[in-house]
Amino acid sequence: MEIAAQSPVRATRPRALGGFLRNEDWLAVLIGLGLVGTAAAAYAGGGSITWLAVSPHKWSHLGGLGSQLVSGAARYAALFAMWALLFGAAGRALGIPVTRFVPAFLVVFLLTSVVYSLGLWDQAAHYNLEPPLVALALGLLLSNTRGAPRWLEPALRVELYVKSGIVLLGAALPLTLLLWAGPVAMLQAGIVSLATFAVIYVTGVRLGLDRRFAATLGTGGAVCGVSGAIAIGGSVGAKRQHISVAISLVVAWAIVMIFLLPLVSRAFRLPTGIAGAWIGTSEFADAAGLAAAQAYGGYAGNVPGIAGHADAAVTAFTLMKVVGRDVWIGVWAFALSIVATTRWERTGIETRAGVGEIWGRFPKFVLGFLAASLLLTGFAHGHAYADFKVSVVPNLVAPLQVLRTWAFTFAFLSIGLTTRIRDFASVGTRPFIAFTLGVAVNVLLGFVLSTRVFAGFWIGIGQ
Amino acid sequence: MSESCRSCIRFEASPAAIEAAFAGLATLSSAHAAVRLTDGLCSVHDRYVRASSACASHTGSTSTRQS
Repeated sequence: MEIAAQSPVRATRPRALGGFLRNEDWLAVLIGLGLVGTAAAAYAGGGSITWLAVSPHKWSHLGGLGSQLVSGAARYAALFAMWALLFGAAGRALGIPVTRFVPAFLVVFLLTSVVYSLGLWDQAAHYNLEPPLVALALGLLLSNTRGAPRWLEPALRVELYVKSGIVLLGAALPLTLLLWAGPVAMLQAGIVSLATFAVIYVTGVRLGLDRRFAATLGTGGAVCGVSGAIAIGGSVGAKRQHISVAISLVVAWAIVMIFLLPLVSRAFRLPTGIAGAWIGTSEFADAAGLAAAQAYGGYAGNVPGIAGHADAAVTAFTLMKVVGRDVWIGVWAFALSIVATTRWERTGIETRAGVGEIWGRFPKFVLGFLAASLLLTGFAHGHAYADFKVSVVPNLVAPLQVLRTWAFTFAFLSIGLTTRIRDFASVGTRPFIAFTLGVAVNVLLGFVLSTRVFAGFWIGIGQ
Repeated sequence: MSESCRSCIRFEASPAAIEAAFAGLATLSSAHAAVRLTDGLCSVHDRYVRASSACASHTGSTSTRQS
């Protein structure tokens, strides 16, 4: 079986910048919290960033869409300038020259605008034209036929976009919800993560795979996808080729799941909160899962029989994936590095496991997500419920939701544009069997826990 | 084995090199992500290891290869 990956953006890092500004997680926190803070300051001053947070509205014929875009041209231009400034500055900190980033980002912005507009066609749901799926499919089509041009690569920063979007998402979730749902998310995610890891690791070892390879595969499937594979690969000192294989398997299965999980959820008419929890349990990467969850949320109100609020799928997904799974990667890395150094065969490299690894590998963008949630909770606390609904939601929360949708759609398009199937590494039969068995257990166990064991809980997210 | 991989010329940890080495990394993750720490590729053992690791084949000295 041939699967694998793509050529990355070559970048050099400006040495003068501190490590803080060269870390994508912290840059996403700065961007996300900067926007939340600006929106909050504008609101506190009696205004709103609504003018800047422009998005297409429902349309039924091309003439109507054209009128919308023409009348909002200045706002779209300002929105592009804002994103180009923020992401261009972040790219510069990561070593991507602004002169290379901005032209490439203009194309990403224009393609995203097309996808966003298409999703608001009044027949979009009928033809399954959910923006995340269209963005991904369009990207995959371009990348695997003509091939995305090299000059576009500087702006295809999936993680920067998706992490910034997740921080913005925090501003839509009150801290009380996180405290209420967090423990359940951790319990469900913990059960599935441990089971998935055990299946992949034990199967892999029994099939004769190196233990470090099996552990890298296992955490790629059980914890946080490609990030899990690269984190554990480093902590246990895996072979380079083994990490390449693990990444290829994760990317391939994650893309399959983006389309499969919403499709199956729709067939079962799962409420949005339940579907989001299942996707959060069974998808492998944040960006991939958000694409699936946002696509499914789009069915609410458009597909008969699907109950729940549109945002519930993304909310439940985020609780499950980010709070329930991602935050534990440092613990997995620390634990497995101890096992690797004390129990597994030696590699000729001396490594010491340190507890500092737990914080070191912690996904820092989660802190931005929590800070944004805390800020929203503070605003809500100062308002009566009715006032919050008629004032804070439309003038503060809603524009941030629009900005979040833009950031996520940049990411979904970038996933497709960076996925070149012909570049996939040859993975071999045994790793494929071990990983795929783990995928099967992950998906089935996640489905049972989301739709049966904790169904009453997750359905409440959507109400 | 007193000197760590961080100062070995056979150790490469720059994000550009890591994303070039691992196809697919930039699709659903990033070499600039916090989870990666300062891990890098060892061309002696052909493994991806922590910067704080060490081995008997430590070669030369550099302080700028990884960040």
